[in-house]
Amino acid sequence: MLIQFVNPLNSSPLAFPILECIHIVGFAVSIGTIAIVDFRLLNLGLWRQTPAQLAKDTSLWTIFGLAIMIFSGLMLYSSDPDMYYLNWAFLLKMLFLVLAITFNYTIHRRVVASGASTGRTKLVACVSLLLWMCVVFGGIFIGFLNPTLDLNKV
Amino acid sequence: MLLAFAQFIQKTAFFTALRGSGYVYPAILSLHMVAIALFGGMILMTDMRLLGLSLRSYPVSEVIDQFRMPKRVGFLLIATCGILMACCKAEEYYYNDWFRLKLALLLLVALHAVIFRRSVYHRAAGLDPGSPLPAGAKLAASISLILWTSIACAGRGIGYIEPPLDKIHAQFFSAPVVAPPATVNAEYLH
Repeated sequence: MLIQFVNPLNSSPLAFPILECIHIVGFAVSIGTIAIVDFRLLNLGLWRQTPAQLAKDTSLWTIFGLAIMIFSGLMLYSSDPDMYYLNWAFLLKMLFLVLAITFNYTIHRRVVASGASTGRTKLVACVSLLLWMCVVFGGIFIGFLNPTLDLNKV
Repeated sequence: MLLAFAQFIQKTAFFTALRGSGYVYPAILSLHMVAIALFGGMILMTDMRLLGLSLRSYPVSEVIDQFRMPKRVGFLLIATCGILMACCKAEEYYYNDWFRLKLALLLLVALHAVIFRRSVYHRAAGLDPGSPLPAGAKLAASISLILWTSIACAGRGIGYIEPPLDKIHAQFFSAPVVAPPATVNAEYLH
């Protein structure tokens, strides 16, 4: 059964760019606070407190940013799901997003809590930064791929 | 004068190549966004610390002093990528109102730094002992928050303005466009 549904986001040309702005602020807050903890793990600053205390200070901001980023992202996705589903940059981005979030709340969290400053700690910080970088790259490349859907072949 | 300069920049071999480079241009944009994610968070968290909303186990002075260098490096990276992209389409950007707004807001950021440098950012150590932060510091943080989020939004707006083709490709528009006679259209309709 087909459900007749018009996405209200597509009825205003302003909705998409405004959501994009919210998305950008959301990831600046979430990735930005995670990066601050990573820089602490790399011993680059904010030495007064342990990484665990620093992560505790920023954790609410990280979750808040993630929530805004994911919610606005879902709304952006809803504007044209077929296009996103067929876009390999989007699919890679989703893969890296799942990896980055999982990594952040498992291995990353454990290393932050342990507080040891070893080579392994620094490796974890670099992996975290790299995963989030890949997410951002994927997001930008979505808009620069040729449409995968060839209407003549459907 | 400025327009001529924009046209000159855009037509240089380097920026012509960059503009038609396929994936190099989006890679620069991606790097711009990565740097915003990594270092924009530091700006936001500095402001939130001044407002007493984040990093409260650190003195204000430590947050300001230790984020200063990374924020400068980050800004340099963001600005470099931004300038590269702007030069690729310098003529379009010259006409782009969002780009003009973004530049104006960046000027305001510079003004903000000059105004609050003495009272807030360079005497951060003096802000620590008194637990409630002075109103000036909170004002500085609030203005900074508004300015930087506006700059990010204005940046996103740049891509949504259609370039004025009649001005950019003026040579193609020099000959008056002759409209087909109405009768022809009417025939096609039947």
